[in-house]
Amino acid sequence: MRNYEGIALVCPVSLGYAKQSSHGAAWYVGSVLRELIHSAGIAKSDVDGLAVSSFSLGVDSAIALTQHFGLSPRWIEQANMGGVSGIVALRKAARAVQCGETQIVACIGGDGAGHRSFEATAAHFSSWSIDASFPYGAGGPNAAFSLITRHYMEKYDAKREDFARIAVDQRYNANHYPKALLGHKRLSTQDYLQARPIAGPLHLFDCVMPCAGGEGFLIMSEARARTLKLPFVRLLAADELHNAHAKDAVQDRGGWTEYMPALYQRASVGPEDIDLLQTYDDYPVISMMQIEDMGFCEKGDGPKFVHETDMRFDHSGAATRKLPHNTCGGQLSCGQAGSAAGYLGLTETIRQLTHTAGSNQVPRARHGLVSGYGMVNYDRGLCSGAALLARGEA
Amino acid sequence: MNLKEKMQRRLKLSRPSLRARARPPKHRTALGAQFTAANLPTALALQHCKHCGHTQYPPAELCSICLEDQLIYQPADGSGVILARTELHHSLWEYFKRRLRQGSWPVCSIALDSGPVVIAHLGSDHLNAGDPVRVFSHTDASQQAVLIAVNATVDISSPEARRGIVSAMNLDIPAIKEDGL
Repeated sequence: MRNYEGIALVCPVSLGYAKQSSHGAAWYVGSVLRELIHSAGIAKSDVDGLAVSSFSLGVDSAIALTQHFGLSPRWIEQANMGGVSGIVALRKAARAVQCGETQIVACIGGDGAGHRSFEATAAHFSSWSIDASFPYGAGGPNAAFSLITRHYMEKYDAKREDFARIAVDQRYNANHYPKALLGHKRLSTQDYLQARPIAGPLHLFDCVMPCAGGEGFLIMSEARARTLKLPFVRLLAADELHNAHAKDAVQDRGGWTEYMPALYQRASVGPEDIDLLQTYDDYPVISMMQIEDMGFCEKGDGPKFVHETDMRFDHSGAATRKLPHNTCGGQLSCGQAGSAAGYLGLTETIRQLTHTAGSNQVPRARHGLVSGYGMVNYDRGLCSGAALLARGEA
Repeated sequence: MNLKEKMQRRLKLSRPSLRARARPPKHRTALGAQFTAANLPTALALQHCKHCGHTQYPPAELCSICLEDQLIYQPADGSGVILARTELHHSLWEYFKRRLRQGSWPVCSIALDSGPVVIAHLGSDHLNAGDPVRVFSHTDASQQAVLIAVNATVDISSPEARRGIVSAMNLDIPAIKEDGL
């Protein structure tokens, strides 16, 4: 696979997290676009590529948005793949810029959160969920992931205390990231264990809070980023694989197992070189699955790994192995802004690697790994994606 | 309040939580409606591919193995094994919210011996992963076919026996709110 040399990721934007909002998805996508243009110091007409991800555009599509926003892009993409949207958009946009089909692509995920909108999304998520999962208790994603979590706990002898490690360290990170919706609240292991039950082994702090929000960044050539004097991040390698391991009766691994060794090789970087990791944390068990599948430990050793690893952004935890994980608090603490949540790991990593994160900056961050997961069409998340990013030298 | 006033109020305050009668999710795709129709006369009917012999669920337009358009509904054996079970304490749907006030709602995923993985209401107590179960379909209070899993030793051979299991779960009647609209 050809590398992504010469591609720059710039101008991470995260905005507008709200538990409920009267604004629609177009407001969030458009507001991110406005912020991207301002922070890059470019004209709207300079954006000649647009990649959009959203669950709540309704009858509109990415094309409709070009008229809403007065854009005339020569390259357009709509990647509605939930938690892997950001990585899918990034890979396509990077190739398009590399091939000269477009110069500057705005990659944006945005979703509103109207009254009872989550209920509507969950009730009509996919034809298989409509026919074969939602009628069974209408638990939405909590039901599907409680089955996956219980299976994982039984198969690998994982305990709630193990998942608490992920949620508690992420909340610490969120406590230092002002935009996180739950960042003002502390979370102790005790709080986590005593939370009210939601579904089987899942309790309140295993579940994300649906919210509104927007995330985005720009893809351009490294040369253009230098001309614009924008701090940038390079894309060392990226890959995706969907509906992998379809014969596994219950999901406990994803497509990463099939491509991560080659991805590390292409990037000439290994798990030991990663300064920060952003996994898709719709539920702690899914983060644990990604940690295993991406080679940080063996399958089934996730529970041991999280106890031996300090996942705080500032290395202030007790454990000796340091791996800052979901350094802005992830969805578990920021909230899950629909498709925008599939961009959260990327925007956060771009901030970290350009050393512009501010109050939750990881010290000396050079390499960041971002993974995406998503789309529970029926009983499991189908998508997997990963991107290895490196700080660009000015 | 007479019926007309009641219906006007219900239209004005279109909130499931205010309704006198809450029912399970009724919405299905066209394929889901076919599943309900095919399951009316029998304990369990699943899509069977006449071309390659594959049995599949959830219902789909084409065979997921050979992509041929030769799917028919055939009576299927409901024997299987529980993959994972869960108890819901929270639901997005008013019917289940009301049922949950009486206790958690058990649901499980099952690997049927014929191949497919199904999600079903759990109609027997004390079942866990690895336990053998039988799965059958029954009409719920929204007139849709839903799957129910019971201990493999439970008799589900007659429509009466199956109806009894469903009645014991209160799946065939709406969840009532006494002073609702």
